[in-house]
Amino acid sequence: MNSEVLKYKDISISYGEKNVLSHFDLDIKKGDRILLKGRSGAGKSTLLKMPMGFAHQTSGNLYFNNSLLDSNTVWDARKRIAYVSQDLDIYEGSVNEFIEEVFSYSFNEGKLDRTKLRRLLVYLGFEKDVLDMDFEDLSGGEKQRIGIIMSVLIGKDIYLLDEITSSLDIALKEKVANYFLERKDWTLVIISHDDVWEKENVKVVPVGV
Amino acid sequence: MEAYDISNLALVACFLLLAIPLLVSHYLKLGIIRETVVSASRMILQLIFVGFFLTVLFDLNNSIVNLLWISVMVLMATHATINDIGLDLKKLLLPTVASFIVGNFLLLLYFNRFVVNLENLFDARYLIPIFGMFLGNSLRGNIVSISNFYDTIKRNENRYLYSLSLGAKKYEAILPYARKSLKLALKPSIASMSTVGIVSLPGMMTGQIIAGSSPILAIKYQMAIMIGIYVSTVMTVTIGIFMTTRSSFDDYGILKEDIFKSTID
Repeated sequence: MNSEVLKYKDISISYGEKNVLSHFDLDIKKGDRILLKGRSGAGKSTLLKMPMGFAHQTSGNLYFNNSLLDSNTVWDARKRIAYVSQDLDIYEGSVNEFIEEVFSYSFNEGKLDRTKLRRLLVYLGFEKDVLDMDFEDLSGGEKQRIGIIMSVLIGKDIYLLDEITSSLDIALKEKVANYFLERKDWTLVIISHDDVWEKENVKVVPVGV
Repeated sequence: MEAYDISNLALVACFLLLAIPLLVSHYLKLGIIRETVVSASRMILQLIFVGFFLTVLFDLNNSIVNLLWISVMVLMATHATINDIGLDLKKLLLPTVASFIVGNFLLLLYFNRFVVNLENLFDARYLIPIFGMFLGNSLRGNIVSISNFYDTIKRNENRYLYSLSLGAKKYEAILPYARKSLKLALKPSIASMSTVGIVSLPGMMTGQIIAGSSPILAIKYQMAIMIGIYVSTVMTVTIGIFMTTRSSFDDYGILKEDIFKSTID
């Protein structure tokens, strides 16, 4: 049986008095690729942050691997899920230090695969040696690509991708989208205005029509 | 050898010196005349009060009264810390009190017992001034570190969440911010240790020398006090940050909004 890894059940979101989203349902199975579409302010980002516990619904329930997501189960969810956002200022210090710090975190049991890192850097168009550079000196697009590489390196299988290709040029957008979409066993939930994500097998889900 | 008395008339002669800053302010339009008068008056009133108060306290020299007074000092320090950094007093009261008690009081007991070698650990003449010096410095440290910590973690909330989403436990995600704030708070104590005696002669040492102690005894006390101050500041600010994070983050590891005082009302 292919059960849901994420299940949004009767989710409503409001900010203060303002009702943003009502009675939203979505079942996400392993290997699904979901593209959330909707006008800005419709609650897409909130839906994407909820499995990480970074945002909360006003009513309704969210299930992760068939258990209700709460302050206990959220820590299990964080071990399996990578959330990548468009926020770029994610570190002070060099790229290398960033990578080492992330690999020192308790929930990342795997070891850093340097070969994979180099391959990814080349694939995403880094020519110069970016590892010794200060994170703050990178351009927006470079920061975004390092963030993407990081999320891939730590080896999760569910990816919540919030506008991760927004600062990239068209060739790189295409490469990033292809990289994720080719990994058939990964579960992807995507928010993006870029049409590179609208491929076969990607299910478009309207949010808050 | 006792220190020369300063007569009341002589004090007036000292206050006359304040005419200089007042004149400077007047001619250069610094606009600090009012502040100078208000702060100097406050200083005079507070010290007169403390002078009489300490006289009574020293005459009584009752351990329970001394401990009560120390508790009042801790509560006032806590109030000052939380007030100064715009956090909600009620939610962070206990952790902040705990940081001051563990960081200062426990250290003070060790200090009085093994360094000053007191028979009565709660002797007012030692307990209160030394505790005051510890507390004053760790208060400053706590204000710097706690405000810097909550300020930066709030400003960099996305970065903090990003560490959580990259596999950090709450403690690991907090650590870089804690580290920075602790360093910032400890810098002044470290700097004052390395310049003491050359750039500055501290008040305590000067006071002892004027009161008739030998310079050697004065420097011994000064060394002990500076180490005590540094250690108490380290303990207080470290405990302060980590204890407050137990109540300032929710079970999801997210910084609670309601620990900040609302700036709107």
